[in-house]
Amino acid sequence: MSDTTQMLKGILDGCLLAIIKEGEIYGYELAAKLESYGFRSLSEGTIYPLLLRMQKEGLISATLRKSTAGPKRKYYTLTEKGEQELELFIGRWEQVSSSVDNVLNKRGI
Amino acid sequence: MVSKESEQFLTELRFYLMSKGKNDDEINEITEELEVHLMEAEADGKDVSYIIGDSPKQYMKSIGESMSTDYRQMAGLVPLMILLLGAYVSVGPAIEGNFSLSKGMLWIAIIAGSIAVGAYSLLIFRVLPKFLHSKWSAVLLLGASVAMTGLMVMILLWNQKQGFEPIFTATPFQNNVIVAVCAVIFIVSAIYTKTWFTIIIPLFLSVGPIANRFIPQDVNEDPTYILYTLIAFVIIAAFMIFIFMAKRKKMLNNGGKRNV
Repeated sequence: MSDTTQMLKGILDGCLLAIIKEGEIYGYELAAKLESYGFRSLSEGTIYPLLLRMQKEGLISATLRKSTAGPKRKYYTLTEKGEQELELFIGRWEQVSSSVDNVLNKRGI
Repeated sequence: MVSKESEQFLTELRFYLMSKGKNDDEINEITEELEVHLMEAEADGKDVSYIIGDSPKQYMKSIGESMSTDYRQMAGLVPLMILLLGAYVSVGPAIEGNFSLSKGMLWIAIIAGSIAVGAYSLLIFRVLPKFLHSKWSAVLLLGASVAMTGLMVMILLWNQKQGFEPIFTATPFQNNVIVAVCAVIFIVSAIYTKTWFTIIIPLFLSVGPIANRFIPQDVNEDPTYILYTLIAFVIIAAFMIFIFMAKRKKMLNNGGKRNV
């Protein structure tokens, strides 16, 4: 696992929730969106253990749909609990990111 | 359709999750989801390492950790294995019409059955996952199965020479009932484990006892018929090897792609 991946642990959950909130999405699309947002060092498969866990925790729900070719695709949507978790993540992230910014820019409070 | 490498990964993942006692439905769900991903990624020119990273073993572990262990399903496997072992041992004598039970045989069955269940569990849940990425996994599994079957046969032969006093001897009707019960166990096991092995292996094992029961003794011991039988088996084996090699050649010609 790269250092970047290690740093991203925990943050990815929130990012996935935020992307799923944009609309119903399946695994491959989700990985492609993450990449388009700049997460290029991640292996695409990294999302699946996270999705499994979030599904188990009731943050997201999944539906199987037929695809044009091959097996069925699993589409994810955010649950009410997932929306609440996303709100909490946004709050926590703003706090962490401003603290890190302060440290890096030597701005003591 | 996915590449041979991706297909190998999906098979290994399925086997790994099974060996960790994960729920069948959940295993199907995650392997199908990954198959869709691999299919689309490969169509975009990416390979399996792009998706699962540098360590397939680590990736399988992270998938496994996100799934719950199905203890109910695992608990169901132990009695099923015991029933299967009992059915394997009983079906031959019952077909021949001479099923009997003695105290000595029951003790041997309990001890040998416990050893077999323990050894198989250890092999499947502990040893095999460590060899998943090695070509030795298939050799190990096959070797263990052959060794275990050989041991069972040795125990049975030893048991027959002991001349234990039978405490139960089946009537012709009871023998037929035992055969029917064994058949049900084999079919239920095949449905439960979603494989054909528990039907194919007993069918092969039953050929001898069926021949003993239905073919007259003089025909059964006639060297000419024995020779014909041997030739028939050699032809069947050669035919199966030919089909296997032709399929393999066709797959290699397709650049390793699965030809379904």
